[in-house]
Amino acid sequence: MYNVIQLFAKYGGHILFVILEIICFYLVINFNQGQKDIFINSSQVYVGKLATQSAKVSNYTNLSKVNDSLMRENANLIENLIAIEYATDLIPAADSLYDRYDLIPVSICNATVNLTNNHITLCSGSREGVQKDMGVISSKNGIIGIVRNVTENFAHVISLLNTQSRISCSIKSRNCHGSLRWRDLDPLRVSLVDVPKHEKIAVGDTVITSGYSTMFPRGILVGRIEKYSIVSGSNNYYITVKLFNDLTNVKYAYVIKNRYGGEQKSLEKEVIESNE
Amino acid sequence: MSNAISTNIIRIILLFLAQILVFKHITFGISDFAYIHFLIYPVAFLLLPVKTPSIILLPLSFLIGLGIDFFYDSPGVHASASVFSAYFRSLVIAFLEPYDGYNVDDVPNIKRMGFGYFVSYMSIVLLAHMLFYFSVEAFSFVYFFDIFLKTIFSFIMSFIVIVIMLSIFKTKY
Repeated sequence: MYNVIQLFAKYGGHILFVILEIICFYLVINFNQGQKDIFINSSQVYVGKLATQSAKVSNYTNLSKVNDSLMRENANLIENLIAIEYATDLIPAADSLYDRYDLIPVSICNATVNLTNNHITLCSGSREGVQKDMGVISSKNGIIGIVRNVTENFAHVISLLNTQSRISCSIKSRNCHGSLRWRDLDPLRVSLVDVPKHEKIAVGDTVITSGYSTMFPRGILVGRIEKYSIVSGSNNYYITVKLFNDLTNVKYAYVIKNRYGGEQKSLEKEVIESNE
Repeated sequence: MSNAISTNIIRIILLFLAQILVFKHITFGISDFAYIHFLIYPVAFLLLPVKTPSIILLPLSFLIGLGIDFFYDSPGVHASASVFSAYFRSLVIAFLEPYDGYNVDDVPNIKRMGFGYFVSYMSIVLLAHMLFYFSVEAFSFVYFFDIFLKTIFSFIMSFIVIVIMLSIFKTKY
């Protein structure tokens, strides 16, 4: 109590000033129409601003949820795009084949891009349905790599930027195939080899996946031909492809699950073994 | 001492009456917009002795302002400006303190403190009062230009009136 009195003795003038001003402004706001209107109006503006800010904060905390749902939505859309690619076949496949590819949205835990053999770790494993030898894409335009090993919660992916990776690709609307390899150690460019030199190609042609492997469906956009040359004595072009996607900053990806991949593989394996 | 109190009470009453009966009705303006208002009532509490405790000064200024408000039909506007300038007055008095300090019974008028002191003291506090008053009256800094014009013109005219008035009615306290 003594302290309170002492405080008031010391700062009484200031406290009194504040109290009286509060009374005055109470009177001003409550008994003057003009000031009352302005007060209500501006306080609504500030309340609105505050509400906007709090909405921003709650949106930010919900971002991961929103992202998950968007990833799922994207996966569905890409699945549809792939199905459309197959739906335009001259001889349509059976209905069930339209949706033979399922996409599993995943996020990327760890990735390297500046080594000779680059690897990527996905934050999803066999629990989410990721299996060995599945293809990984970043969206409709961009492939990332192939799943090599899977644990319960993680998957190890051999990146496209790995000298060991080989992905079957074709040049759109020209009907010639090649193998996509990484030779230049440039994370934005890959090489398309084994395209025979009698085929006509041009700079600017789009490179897409061929759909011959079980990993990638047909028609995933890969990149654009930047330049090509014929190595002397070789029968094939040496084509440099500029990638559509930038693998140095991917955060999310989709693992492609081929429902009939196992069937196709076992059949091919049988044939190869019987030939041997 | 009782002389000082009675002088101040009479001055407060006279200034109050002058404000509400005479100066309330005088406004000058340019093209329908009244820029010049005469506010002379702050003198009532600005001429209280330098050492007046704020526990008396602030409620007194509040009551004077509220009384003016009743006649201006604007509850709280004059009162808030008055409380502000009464509070601000102590800062200005501390700022303008002479080298040898204040005497107990010093009054910030021309006769005691000299014309220079009076002009600087009265102009600073009156300008603050005007600025605060017109700000609260507009209640939004959107009207900053109007507030500024009203403050400047009203300050100049009111200050001239106050100096003339105090030159006519010379008081000791």
